[in-house]
Amino acid sequence: MAVLLIIEDDPHIRSALTRALTDRGHAVSSEPAALRGLQRVIDDPPDLVVLDLGLPDVDGVQLLRMLRPVSAVPVIVATARDDDASTVAALDAGADDYLVKPFSAEQLDARIRAVLRRSATNEPAILTVGGLTVDLKARSAILDGVLLDLRPREFDLLAYLAARPGEVVTKRTLLADVWLSPFGGADKTVDVHLSWLRRKLGETAAEPRLLHSVRGVGVKLVPAPPEM
Amino acid sequence: MRRRLALLVAGTTSVVLLAFLVPLSVLASKAAASDAINATTSRTQALVSAVASGAGPAEIQGQVDQLSRSGLTVRLGHPSAGAPLATTVRRTSSGAAVVRQPVVVGGKTVVVVTEVPRSRLRRGVARAWAVLLLLGAVLVGLSLVVADRLARSLTRPITDLAQTAERLGAGDLSARTVPGGPDEVREVGVAVNLLAARIAELLTHERESVADLSHRLRTPITALRLDVDSLAAGAERDRLAAGVDELTRQVDAVIREGRRPVREGVDARCDAREVTRERVEFWTALTEDQGREVTVALPDQTCLVRASADDLGAALDALIGNVVSHTPEGAAMHVVLTAEASGGALLLVDDEGPGFSDSAVLARGESRAGSTGLGLDIARRTAAASGGDLRIGRSSPGGARVSLRLGAPAG
Repeated sequence: MAVLLIIEDDPHIRSALTRALTDRGHAVSSEPAALRGLQRVIDDPPDLVVLDLGLPDVDGVQLLRMLRPVSAVPVIVATARDDDASTVAALDAGADDYLVKPFSAEQLDARIRAVLRRSATNEPAILTVGGLTVDLKARSAILDGVLLDLRPREFDLLAYLAARPGEVVTKRTLLADVWLSPFGGADKTVDVHLSWLRRKLGETAAEPRLLHSVRGVGVKLVPAPPEM
Repeated sequence: MRRRLALLVAGTTSVVLLAFLVPLSVLASKAAASDAINATTSRTQALVSAVASGAGPAEIQGQVDQLSRSGLTVRLGHPSAGAPLATTVRRTSSGAAVVRQPVVVGGKTVVVVTEVPRSRLRRGVARAWAVLLLLGAVLVGLSLVVADRLARSLTRPITDLAQTAERLGAGDLSARTVPGGPDEVREVGVAVNLLAARIAELLTHERESVADLSHRLRTPITALRLDVDSLAAGAERDRLAAGVDELTRQVDAVIREGRRPVREGVDARCDAREVTRERVEFWTALTEDQGREVTVALPDQTCLVRASADDLGAALDALIGNVVSHTPEGAAMHVVLTAEASGGALLLVDDEGPGFSDSAVLARGESRAGSTGLGLDIARRTAAASGGDLRIGRSSPGGARVSLRLGAPAG
């Protein structure tokens, strides 16, 4: 359970979110405007803030800039703005995650858990799965001492899987969490990126080492068995 | 324009100069002849006086010899019958002049006949003509210089204006001209600047309204989705959730379409050859894993089409993604791009799968084998926006064929 503050101007979403997150065991309060939200964060610090960007008084990104000097509270931006510029601006201003509307309550809850987990354990910036090392800050991946040449999306995909070693992740989840498009896009987009990733990891679908397909379910990244 | 103005001025000046110089040169030659005749009569005056005063033959001969030495042929003769008793000048066929001066000596009339040669009559004419010609040439030259300066002052603002319009056409909406030159050209310059400002304003407005569109559509869908999520699990909730998913996909497509002018600006173009090569190459990782044979035929030269690289890339991804999703693994795929003679390109994506079972899949973006058909819709919209179209049919091996006709870029 976490204490959450929702800053969102649309009353319908505010009440639906409050209901959905309360159902999932959180203590939820909400504010309809930026400055009132900021005041609330200072007066009564929550565990996490879910922030809309298009607020009536002050823009959400501006609010983040005002908030960061006084509070390190984790913030998930939940907005209709899906352009790269808005995402980059919000993350640069101090957001911990970015979610594009429309999203499901389940998805938001998963993000909340992930962000809280990260902030609680100070999740390492370097992930290791067998001979694979993924440096999240430097956005580089090294396999058996060799630096992999990855496209940005391939890196995101590998980092996502490396954070969950041994866990089977569905393509739907990958679309939602890596592509940030939970309801659009085609499974084949994930497939083609997985194919590239597999190639760059120096393996094939027939003879997997790290990246294993679980037919009909999804994929998982496991430590490679030692070379014979 | 400068050359035309120069030609016009040269023509006009030449006509005006001819109108003055031709009579002037005729006048010059007449004046030279008249001068020569006057000079002759004054030189023969001594002989005439001698004859009139009844001088002896020896003295007259002396005078005649003296005149002959100076180049004049002089003789004494009798007047022809009925001739007037006055000095007459007659031109001979050879161009010389014959001056007849009648003298009355003791009741008899004697005529002093002097022949002035042509060379003496035309003395100085060549020089006068040369001076006139030189003057004419200098005047034509001067007028050309003045005309060129004038033309340049006219054409410079027009050239500036053309360059500004070209930059605007190429998508640089910050391009502005400094209005100058004649009033009419200055007015056009001001109008072009206004137009550019208006285009930039419209694009900004478009950008804002598209952002607003995204907000207006996605916010209620989010509320709807959250409400559906809060329903008790069951068939009804699943059906509603599927409905919301479909609605979301359609809204995404609408928003993407609404953003097209913002994405493209005023000039969308890309090299279809490069984009096709790149996208097919991208999909090879998966097609090779699936054991598909993929062939790609591209034109030898760049092939510009009226679509942004992003849009064409998304269309190709959708078409190739369809083949990969809806044909059995191992079915071959053939991508053929040909440049069309009239500009633009024709892109064929053929497969050796089972083919389309329902051609309405495209028109309505209807579900097919678990997909939404939106992929084809994206491709169709890209083709339509470029001035082309999308058709589906049967490939020669009996599989599906999607032909995407893409228009040529503007300008």
